[in-house]
Amino acid sequence: MALLQHPGYEEEKLQRVAEQLPCREVQAGTLLALMGQPQQYSYPSIFIYGHRASGKSHVMNVLLKELELPHATVSCVECVSVALLFEQVLLSFFGCDAASLLPRSPSLSDFVRIYREQCSQSPARQTRYIVMEKAEILRDTDANLLPALLRLQELVEDNVTVILLSEIVWDTFRPNTGCFEPLLLNFPDYSKGELQQILSQDRHPSYSAEFYSSYINILLGVFYSVCRDLRELRHLAALNFSKFCEPLADGKVKETDTHKLWRNIEPHLKKAMQTVYLREVSSLQWEQIQQMEEKEAGVLRGLSAHTHVELPYYSKFLLIAAYLASYNPARTDKRFFLKHHGKIRKTNFLKKNEKTSNHLLGPKPFPLDRLLAIFYSVVDSRVAPTASIFSQISSLVTLQLLTQVSHDDQLDTPKYKCAVSLDFICAISRTVSFDIMKYLYDFL
Amino acid sequence: TPRHATPSIPSRSLPARQPGNVLEEARIRLHVSSVPESLPCREQEFQDIYSFVESKIIDGTGGCMYISGVPGTGKTATVHEVMRCLQHAADVDEIPPFTFIEINGMKMTDPHQAYVQILQKLTGHKATADHAASLLEKRFSNPAPRKESTVLLVDELDLLWTRKQNVMYNLFDWPTRRHARLVVLTIANTMDLPERIMINRVASRLGLTRMSFQPYSFKQLQQIIMSRLNKVKAFEEDALQLVSRKVAALSGDARRCLDICRRATEICEHSAAERSATGLVGMSHVMEALNEMFSSSYITAVKCASVHEQLFLRAVIAEFRRLGLEEATFQQVFVQHQALCRVEGLQPIGVSEGLAVCQRLGACRLLLLEPSRLGVLQRVRLNVSQDDVLYALKAD
Repeated sequence: MALLQHPGYEEEKLQRVAEQLPCREVQAGTLLALMGQPQQYSYPSIFIYGHRASGKSHVMNVLLKELELPHATVSCVECVSVALLFEQVLLSFFGCDAASLLPRSPSLSDFVRIYREQCSQSPARQTRYIVMEKAEILRDTDANLLPALLRLQELVEDNVTVILLSEIVWDTFRPNTGCFEPLLLNFPDYSKGELQQILSQDRHPSYSAEFYSSYINILLGVFYSVCRDLRELRHLAALNFSKFCEPLADGKVKETDTHKLWRNIEPHLKKAMQTVYLREVSSLQWEQIQQMEEKEAGVLRGLSAHTHVELPYYSKFLLIAAYLASYNPARTDKRFFLKHHGKIRKTNFLKKNEKTSNHLLGPKPFPLDRLLAIFYSVVDSRVAPTASIFSQISSLVTLQLLTQVSHDDQLDTPKYKCAVSLDFICAISRTVSFDIMKYLYDFL
Repeated sequence: TPRHATPSIPSRSLPARQPGNVLEEARIRLHVSSVPESLPCREQEFQDIYSFVESKIIDGTGGCMYISGVPGTGKTATVHEVMRCLQHAADVDEIPPFTFIEINGMKMTDPHQAYVQILQKLTGHKATADHAASLLEKRFSNPAPRKESTVLLVDELDLLWTRKQNVMYNLFDWPTRRHARLVVLTIANTMDLPERIMINRVASRLGLTRMSFQPYSFKQLQQIIMSRLNKVKAFEEDALQLVSRKVAALSGDARRCLDICRRATEICEHSAAERSATGLVGMSHVMEALNEMFSSSYITAVKCASVHEQLFLRAVIAEFRRLGLEEATFQQVFVQHQALCRVEGLQPIGVSEGLAVCQRLGACRLLLLEPSRLGVLQRVRLNVSQDDVLYALKAD
């Protein structure tokens, strides 16, 4: 392992850092070189970007903690107002006395003023670091915050460096009025070999390293094509390991019998991809299923299977009518819903732009009149247009099964869209024994 | 937090130096803030305002006057001069004594602050805006023996506009009261301001006493500078004429004219250090100052841009020609840029570098851009005319 080397820090501290950062030696080395020796001035702002779980926060945390540098780590998600951000920075640099000096709703200049006062009392002997996690949220705050943070060193005249961490590239951050350009540093994704190396580190103590490593190998073989997220893979590895060990505990196979172990675990992992990975079944449920021998995994209905909604009788028909109005062209209504229509063929009936399926283009808006017309032709019995029918329409809107478009006219001619899927509407129409497929233009 | 923190300029430790040579003296005399001894070329306007205010003060009545004119035509200076003369006349008991107060719309955070400032200048009391309005209302509508006339100067009138226009209404309504003895002089830039922004009942109270200040002609500008310099021999005749002709052709702004003259003396001083000249400001100095002040900085900015920035501007124009529109997305321009790179034999740049180039041009306002979070889909427009860009790119 290539050790980190830097003249400003002790050898053993660097050794400890290197141990905690597997496969990130290059990036840590670059950062160390940028940071320089503790008392030297560093670059005003560094922007680090990389995909989720590529070790951005971890590397920064380990470096700053192990080398004992003064730092403030701020998550921009938590800081809903800039006041919280300023408070946290002052708190971790100068203690709570400084943080309490901030007025109730501080402006940027308040922060800079207090920072300067405080740092003239306790000047920096080492570079101070402000680490901003999820920096993309800074774009939505005041327009002057991001440019000011980028040149904070200049503003407060202190040895301070701002490090921004984000999953988004710098190009979409740049304010339109220009700003001080930070140094850009990319954290590349982990390769398959690196993932294997990192995941193999947290092995179970009662099994050998090779055994766990072969398990990780199988896991990556199944999941690597869909998921490269270290956190997700680690979670899956922890969940499924007990299943992998089962034949061993029963005494059926030895540790070295890789093929049999693979035969045992592979279908199990494939099922996990469809259930646990999509969060259809929670991890707790998954563990319970594994313990219950007789019950097959995946028998339990997942979250998405619970889409069945109980609706009143006429609401169901209203929803069906809305679906038909949304996905059928209005010109075809006569043919579907009138008794004595002329015989029209689909081929010469088609307009040029209607050749693509409406189900690919999404629902179209329709007026209330058309919804009611279709509703009356779909329902067999005679229904009076009472208040309850109209209130059911608006309650379908509040249930988000319908959405109202164009909010300009609420009473006169409101327009709606149907916001349910084909599977859902099929299930609904089955309960009222209505064959919706016969009425859908796309499926003729 | 310091509660009563007032920003202030640090006091100077050394006294200001006396002017050392002719050019320095000329510069001090030409400074906009130095008050001239007389106001040349505004005798007629001076006379009109003077007689208007004087007659009102002598009669003990009130009235409004609206003064308009483009910036730098001496509106404020003339009114101040009038007030100085009237004050002098009051001191020697030619006319009854009066109080003069001045408010400026630009110096107020809110139009309603006008009441507060007027009350404070009249009586020295402080009050909230509403209270001050009612106090002033009472003061101007009730009869009081031995009340002095008040002359109120309202500068930058257009900034006192509110939605209900009550500030303007009150300002013009008070002089019409019987016991008010208030003369209101209002100054704004546009001639048709009463017709454009005031509702009828406000405009009618303002009345028809209007005066407009015409821009200076070149002869007048020349006269102004001569009177300012007042026998200090620092300029050549022709140089002065050039400045005044140029300024008169563009705006007729006396302040601009003075600025250019001052800059020309500085240039003259610099060049005198190099080689011993006549010591007078000549044609060449004035030409240089005029170029500095009037030439567009955009063309210089394009000329000094980097290779890829210039190439990007060319790509923008090429894309506009292809589309026949004055707008394109970054994506489209970037394709052109890459093609141009190949034609020029340069290494094509990546998308991030291209975006950086584009956004740098946007930051110095050569391009108009949408917010950068749209990425490659942001639309690009030119902020300068295509001819200017082509001229700047061709010149080298």
